[in-house]
Amino acid sequence: MILKISKQAKGELVFASSLFLLGIFVAWDTSRMDIPQGSSIVSPQTFPYMVAAFTSLVGFVLILDVLRGRLGTPEGDEPGDPFVGANFKTMAIIAAAIGLHVILLEIAGYVIAATVCFFGVSYGFGSRKYLKDFGISLAFALIVYFSFTKGLNINLPSGFFKGVLGNG
Amino acid sequence: MGNSFAMLMDGFQTAFTPTNLMFGLLGTFLGTLVGVLPGIGPALAIGLLLPVCLTVNPTSALIMFAAIYYGAMYGGSTTSILLNTPGESGSVITALEGNKMAKAGRAGAALATAAIGSFVAGTIATLLLAFGAPWMADVALTIQPAGYLSLIILAFATVGTLLGSSRIRGLVALSVGLVIGLIGADLQSGALRLTFGNMNAIDGIETVTVIVAIFALGEALYLASRHTIMSTEVLEMKGKAWMTREDFRRSWKPWLRGTAIGFPLGVIPAGGSEVPTFLSYGVEKALSKNKDEFGKGAIEGVAGPEAANNANAAGVLVPMLALGLPTSATAAVVLVAFQSFNIQPGPMLFQTSPEVVWGLIASLFIGNTLLLVLNLPLIRFWVLLLKIPTHYLYAGITTFALLGAYALNNSTFDLQVALAVGFIGYMFRRFGVPITPLIIGVILGPLAELQFKRALQISQGDWHILIAGGFPKIIYSILLLVIIGPLVWNFKKKFAVKK
Repeated sequence: MILKISKQAKGELVFASSLFLLGIFVAWDTSRMDIPQGSSIVSPQTFPYMVAAFTSLVGFVLILDVLRGRLGTPEGDEPGDPFVGANFKTMAIIAAAIGLHVILLEIAGYVIAATVCFFGVSYGFGSRKYLKDFGISLAFALIVYFSFTKGLNINLPSGFFKGVLGNG
Repeated sequence: MGNSFAMLMDGFQTAFTPTNLMFGLLGTFLGTLVGVLPGIGPALAIGLLLPVCLTVNPTSALIMFAAIYYGAMYGGSTTSILLNTPGESGSVITALEGNKMAKAGRAGAALATAAIGSFVAGTIATLLLAFGAPWMADVALTIQPAGYLSLIILAFATVGTLLGSSRIRGLVALSVGLVIGLIGADLQSGALRLTFGNMNAIDGIETVTVIVAIFALGEALYLASRHTIMSTEVLEMKGKAWMTREDFRRSWKPWLRGTAIGFPLGVIPAGGSEVPTFLSYGVEKALSKNKDEFGKGAIEGVAGPEAANNANAAGVLVPMLALGLPTSATAAVVLVAFQSFNIQPGPMLFQTSPEVVWGLIASLFIGNTLLLVLNLPLIRFWVLLLKIPTHYLYAGITTFALLGAYALNNSTFDLQVALAVGFIGYMFRRFGVPITPLIIGVILGPLAELQFKRALQISQGDWHILIAGGFPKIIYSILLLVIIGPLVWNFKKKFAVKK
């Protein structure tokens, strides 16, 4: 066993361990399952227990693999490439843009939610031409909104613009 | 056989109505449009376009899908040649030689051999599909639940262990997929699993949401987390997308060989288009008289793998249609598309919905032909799409992926699921875990449980039924070979090195 664990390996160990715990968690959820009366020959718990065991086993083997120094390399990277730490700040911006879309969609309507999301992601990817970015975001949201609601008859929340945009 | 031919002609009749032809044309256009965008592979392209098809009648929608399917494949190869960023594993090889050709000013020839090779391979493979799938469905009708289960387990093993660089990571992806597949009410007893009192989760997690989120959101989060956003250079295309007589002479044999390699490997669950394209490349390199050109832009190295990739895509549809077993991410999305119209692929499909399935197969022919006619002249338009700046591209992909997740059920729950799955996708991407096994797990997990229960109900709880009979025994023997074979191989190699 290697006692000195690199920073890169630490991240992957957390990932592998959470997988192991996921298996245990599924087993725990299965054990407290309400089983309706008159169940058939095979209990609805059998298969989930198998999945739980499989998940934990695979997680355990992955932990061993990482400890032995066999780390996962992202597709497209060569195994010898220098390790690049994740930039969690830009990642958080993308996650926030998606999160805002989820929250805003039914409160403020599709056009606003999509504009915010588009703008947020392009900001996260490093674009700083705010006015142009905003214009493109809004245009994208409007085009999608109208082609879906008018062109394909798929309803999207109209939000604040109910009167302006028509009943979508 | 004669029957298949008559049914296929009926299929053409269905496909050739003006409305359906128009949907075919639209599908070809949209499929190429989305497939050509860097970072979007065929599976994500189809997943993103699924909501567009929701309001159309099933036959037209599936015809559109057939066109999108081949269109997205074709679009992917254009990206690989001109940009060297393969959207999916099947195009990695195309990027290898094709991009070198483009750098040497032969982009036109590379694009042409890819397009014509895809057409040739697609047409032959679709023909094989038209006659092979009904035959397989007939055989499949005799398969018992235990046999079915053994097939699913074989698919799990091959997809889980053959993809990517690390076998354990493939199984990791599969296990997470199986867990996601558990969520919701058990089909037979109605017992709730992993729902935590959330009413929205009772019907389970929407597969399209998983596919779209894991590819699109996972990729966006991953790319953003890297400090450097890669800037890639779009290669200029000089002249027309066409080939010389010499190019033809060097391409036609690789097209046919690629088809011969790609189709059978699609029919058996060999883990997607990675294996056949690599194999085809190896064969062409070994047989070529111009070995020194390989690695510098050999046309055979584009013609063979591209044909193999397309023939493989048609081959994968055989078990998908005849058995209901998808073995690639792309086939999985097509399966989901069928299910969203309440059509269940499997042995009964050819009897219950002949007009749909034969219309689809006929459309594959039509879509393939339309692609050839449409794409070579339109190539300059597609090249323009490659110049969209990365930040707008990913902003658009992310926003559109969220729309797809929402539009299926008009529920924000699906969006929350998408965000969570996006994080899983990020971690998979970060730690080199392949994505396809997860999708296969989500789709086939519930099916595996169903067959498992059916088998045990037939035997009144006797587990021996799972390995009783000839069919499961054969399949499990193959499974042992698939698992043990590479282990012996590796051991031998290590042994040889030590010596």
